Amino acid sequence: MIASVLPLIGRRLLASILILFVVSVLLFFVLHALPVDPAAMSLPPNATIAEIEAKRKEMGLDLPLPQQYLIWLSQVLHGDFGVSIHYRRSVVSLVAGTLPATVELAALSIIIAGVLGVAGGLVLFHVRGKREEPLIDFGSILLLSIPEFLWSLFFILIFGVALQWLPFTGRLDSDMRLPHGSGLLLADALFAGRPDIFWSALKHLILPCFALGLAFSPTIMRVLRSSLIDVYHEDYIHMARLRGLSERRILLHHALKNAFLPTLSLMGVQFGFLFGGTLLVEVIFSYPGLGNLMVDAVRNADLPIIQLVGLAYCIVVLIINTVVDSLYLMLNPKLRLR
Amino acid sequence: MSAGKMTRFLPKWLRSSRVVIGLVIVGVIGLCAIFAPLLAPHDPNDQSLTAIFLPPVWGEGGDPAYLLGTDSLGRDVLSRLIYGARLAMLVAVFASLGAMLIGATLAHIAGYFGGRIDAWIGRAVDVWMSFPPVVLSLILMVGIGVGVRNVILAIVLVDWTRFCRVLRSEVLVVSRKDYVAAARLLGFSHWRTITREIIPASLPLLITLVSLEMGIAVIVEAILSFVGLSVSSETPAWGQMIADARQYIYDSPWNLIFPILAIFTAVLGFNLLGDGLRRTLDVRVTETQRV
Repeated sequence: MIASVLPLIGRRLLASILILFVVSVLLFFVLHALPVDPAAMSLPPNATIAEIEAKRKEMGLDLPLPQQYLIWLSQVLHGDFGVSIHYRRSVVSLVAGTLPATVELAALSIIIAGVLGVAGGLVLFHVRGKREEPLIDFGSILLLSIPEFLWSLFFILIFGVALQWLPFTGRLDSDMRLPHGSGLLLADALFAGRPDIFWSALKHLILPCFALGLAFSPTIMRVLRSSLIDVYHEDYIHMARLRGLSERRILLHHALKNAFLPTLSLMGVQFGFLFGGTLLVEVIFSYPGLGNLMVDAVRNADLPIIQLVGLAYCIVVLIINTVVDSLYLMLNPKLRLR
Repeated sequence: MSAGKMTRFLPKWLRSSRVVIGLVIVGVIGLCAIFAPLLAPHDPNDQSLTAIFLPPVWGEGGDPAYLLGTDSLGRDVLSRLIYGARLAMLVAVFASLGAMLIGATLAHIAGYFGGRIDAWIGRAVDVWMSFPPVVLSLILMVGIGVGVRNVILAIVLVDWTRFCRVLRSEVLVVSRKDYVAAARLLGFSHWRTITREIIPASLPLLITLVSLEMGIAVIVEAILSFVGLSVSSETPAWGQMIADARQYIYDSPWNLIFPILAIFTAVLGFNLLGDGLRRTLDVRVTETQRV
């Protein structure tokens, strides 16, 4: 089963690498259209024009853009993404330090979105044609109209400020130190045997994760509902009914399996959006991840960081898409034999 | 019964309660945007440092002159909300039309001609979709600089893919229909076939997508102005009001609630409109789903 899809997965992977290359070219050219001068920014404000010119030469900024890109590319292929203009630290270490936080946030959020989405989809399907349908359907549009950053602010107002149940800044209580390790706090705390850190990290994740999960679940709900409706027109459902199976069994054992495929491929696309959505949620919750790094870099016009963080977002999205596509191929027998 | 008779004369899409509610919401916000100078009780930038953080009129110490209270600089929240509608609606209308123009054109070319052109356009969409939209719009704003026009441009450049992907498959299906082949056999040019035979069939989906895109544009503009990458601080924007109020969340939670509600209402309006239009205009939705 796996062997038959391997070539397809390989082709997907190759396509992803090509996409990444094109993205890096686009990113480079967009960012170099910028009206800021990295040479002037990396020098003290009292630097003379001549000094700036010399720095420009040194940084290769006087070369034509395609040549600059090739130089950049060869450095990147050697693992050198440059040094942040603002923090004066290697960009790779900055991104590596923040990426796990964002991955942790996004992974928990997509799980929440998936659970809420499937549950909500089943509810939407269950009420079809009934009296409650318009009301519940309206509810799903209402949910669809609340983006993650509005959920974040709602949650901060209700659970953070008014009820004071949960913290809403950072990843840990301020008196705790980050344990060394993978950067995935929940896993690190478990390995280090520190339930206190685990608990604190979890509490800090609840509000941002639910904000993201709730924002991305309505689309999953609606797609699951419509694919369930499609599946119920198929003959094998009628056959199952004729065989006397209960409605619950037909739904959970026969229909859901097939209706889940479009939902899965949608979740792949959604994960891309969700991963981007973490950016703003991180800013709102002062959560030290990729998004906060990016927004800081944007405010400081810190090109090397913007470049690598942009690429990092793309790489994660491409990896997720490849994984989801491969899963889809493996789960869908119709596509398997070609 | 007279109401029932009345509705019979309305076009089908106006009989959907979703469309009507959506139109009312969007209409009210649109009117606020157009007539902001007449409706707003104060100048949105007038500061009154003796009256900062006033609660809404129903709160303790509320001032009837400031119905929804004042912000950290003593500016009237209601007036800023009304003026903020201008930016939101401006961006919603132009960004969604721009994205539609690019996306729909490419979708029709790809879906109608197929083959190599289709493959190339598909690849371009793949490249674009590998960027999370928020990240791409941030990078674009860094690249092209701030200002209303650039916000619109950034949203157009990010969101044309939404139109392209969805419409392409629709056009693909329509292009295979017999009546399209018949038109070609009658000697219609490609241009005429697309404009006379295909666009009328893809139009319902197009209108729906534009309506949904307007909601998305409102959100993206709010995000950009929240991060401080949208318009200068003299132009009132809902996202900017949120960013300001977040710093004083303990002093005045109301300042945060009102712009949140404004964004939510606007997006809800566009989504209701889009969803209602989809149900009434799409021939494939069954009668029972159309209620």
